[in-house]
Amino acid sequence: MSGLKIEHVYKRYDNEGKGKKKKVNDYAVKDLNLETNEGEFVALLGPSGCGKTTTLRMTAGLEDITEGNIYINDVRVNDLHPKDRHIGLAFEDYAMYPPLTVYENIAFNLRAKGVPNDEIDRRVREIAPLMQCDDLLDMMPVKLSGGQKQRVNIARAIVRRPELLLMDEPLSHLDGKARQAMRTEIKRLINEIKCTTVYVTHDQLEAMSLADRIAIINFGVLQQYGTPAEVYDDPVNEFVASFIGEPPMNILVTTIIKDAGHFFFTFEGSDLRIQVPERYYGVVSDGFRCKVGVRPMDVLIGGPDSKGTPEKVATFENLGDERRIGIRVGEILLMLITEDDTRYKAGDIIRLEVRAEKTHLFDIETGDRIREA
Amino acid sequence: MARITLENIKKTFGKVTALDGVSLDIKDKEFFVLFGPAGAGKTTILNNIAGIQVPDEGFVKFDGEIVNLVDAAHRDTAMVFENYALYPQMTVYDNMASPMRSKLYHKDEDYIKTRVHEIAAMMGMEHLLERLPSQLSNGQKQRVAMGRALVRMPKVYLMDEPLAHLDAKLRNAMRTELKSIQANFGTTSIYVTHDFMEAMSLADRIAVINEGKVVQIGTGDAIYDLPCNEFVATLMGDPEINLIPGKLAKSADGYTFTMQEGGMTYTLPADKAPFAKLDEHGKSEYDLALRPQHLSYSFEPKEGYLKCTVYSYESIGNKSVIIAEAGGQQLRMLAPNGLRVQIDQDVYVDLDLTHALFFDAETKDFVARYNEEAIRAIAEPEEGSDA
Repeated sequence: MSGLKIEHVYKRYDNEGKGKKKKVNDYAVKDLNLETNEGEFVALLGPSGCGKTTTLRMTAGLEDITEGNIYINDVRVNDLHPKDRHIGLAFEDYAMYPPLTVYENIAFNLRAKGVPNDEIDRRVREIAPLMQCDDLLDMMPVKLSGGQKQRVNIARAIVRRPELLLMDEPLSHLDGKARQAMRTEIKRLINEIKCTTVYVTHDQLEAMSLADRIAIINFGVLQQYGTPAEVYDDPVNEFVASFIGEPPMNILVTTIIKDAGHFFFTFEGSDLRIQVPERYYGVVSDGFRCKVGVRPMDVLIGGPDSKGTPEKVATFENLGDERRIGIRVGEILLMLITEDDTRYKAGDIIRLEVRAEKTHLFDIETGDRIREA
Repeated sequence: MARITLENIKKTFGKVTALDGVSLDIKDKEFFVLFGPAGAGKTTILNNIAGIQVPDEGFVKFDGEIVNLVDAAHRDTAMVFENYALYPQMTVYDNMASPMRSKLYHKDEDYIKTRVHEIAAMMGMEHLLERLPSQLSNGQKQRVAMGRALVRMPKVYLMDEPLAHLDAKLRNAMRTELKSIQANFGTTSIYVTHDFMEAMSLADRIAVINEGKVVQIGTGDAIYDLPCNEFVATLMGDPEINLIPGKLAKSADGYTFTMQEGGMTYTLPADKAPFAKLDEHGKSEYDLALRPQHLSYSFEPKEGYLKCTVYSYESIGNKSVIIAEAGGQQLRMLAPNGLRVQIDQDVYVDLDLTHALFFDAETKDFVARYNEEAIRAIAEPEEGSDA
């Protein structure tokens, strides 16, 4: 038993319809390799159109696989019918049977498989409290709120005890607070039933909060596969760095100069100077151009004896829980977050410092991480 | 430029009461935010100011003049909607110029050119002027919609959730951008939102709206730190404020608070001001409220810490939230990312009660909090000094 294994999978949609031009790069998914451990919760994360849902649908058997193999618990499933893949599905829209009660909706697939009545009853009543829908069993779907419908929908997916649970943006219909509450419920549920789960989302926060590991996909290509801490602290490229985290990582084009034996980041249209951490001295040189990235949490306001460059506050936002300050660096608004209670206003001067160990360098052309030698 | 006054506005749609006696006094050049959950009546208020709807009762006044019977076109307002409503066949330039080419607010083309370029520069979209709306991203479309409102200098800008259907990241970035150009508005602005961060960031003052009524009016600080009831307290802040029901009892040297669930009894830090208010209120059942940043945790037992189990541990981006459970009481607190935490493991929680707020358990209204005077001094600047 090993959960899900995706091996060199490609997906190409046939574009030769009328009026459609054949595109050069028309792979929806390109050479995807992904392996989960048993019981692991993996998020497929990426912007819309990146191929994450296509991957999920190929796994479920709702789309053909153009090339490559998919295994569920070591069984190659490429040619298996969806119903024979032992999967549970929960999608964004709930698609419940409106004339049936919640109980019958949850029981439907078990009935279809001819599971005996008392076994069905036992399983429904076992699953319902896990999804907090035991009070809803006699209700009709039309009476349920969006959050309740999604609970029932997920209960229906897991009542069959699937070997693999596939979820496609199950929270995106819900509003802020209901979404947060459901996120917590899903997290507890998966912990309880320990079922291997693949979860598609475009919301980095959902992926970060739920997943054991995150697969970040862009243009059909896997960018990075790692734990939330890995993709947050050690992104492989600019795309991952800017996709994970809110507010996003500040990423600025910089020219590195050498002054009195030290290297500094300098920026066009700004007098901001930041000392380059020594660990990069092996890869940079005077006049070297690259991008430098630093998260808003790692930009600091220096004290009175700070050597940081004095900069003008462009925006100050008090958000209650935290305060965000924006500094103009050329065209870009460099953001920093502070929990310090000081109230600044636009035009105030602060001294900027950067946690040097938290800076990342990226290649201007390719966006790839430049690592210290 | 105008001072906008609403006096006891009532509006019903069939049997539904949308607005139930709304009174607001919005100062000239103020950035005023209408904040509340979906269906609260925020947009109806905005529509009554715009003249799209007419109140059943009450008056809408612009600079003291009743405008109830002035139609929308003649009220000299500029609106920005959630859906951008751009003319698809026109370039960005022409879209932005369109309000100044209308009969009523006509300007000559030289003026239009200067003004469009001025606003486009301010919003950093000069390079987009020749494009068609179909060639823009959603964020850019919203920028154009906003630019189109800003080119005119109307009496008031009315903005209805302009950022609501952008995704979370873009919304936050656009909010910051809006904040950066806001100082240049120089015009009364009324902004509808259900996002507390937008309200906090942008507003000079916020009116919290619920069920067709104004619940509280104040600066962001006042709404956040001195919420008038539990409803307002829970709307502001993410993760949500902790509400802990329990019993207050007088002891020899002050008060103790016993949690209804979880069973812990705390001796409240001695402080005359809140104690005097609690004395005066005289009840024994309260909900003690504490923001997540004022709880701390330990995975080792500690003196005075409440023993809980971990209900969940979730990253919310730059930091994480631990939800701990003791009895039926859930407690939310902040923690760094990347801790090794197992669901249902033990965790010990400490409350920093010097930040506590007290709400009447029955009415859910605000009674007292610690540091009230100091907070009031920050949260309510220039009280009484407005014109």
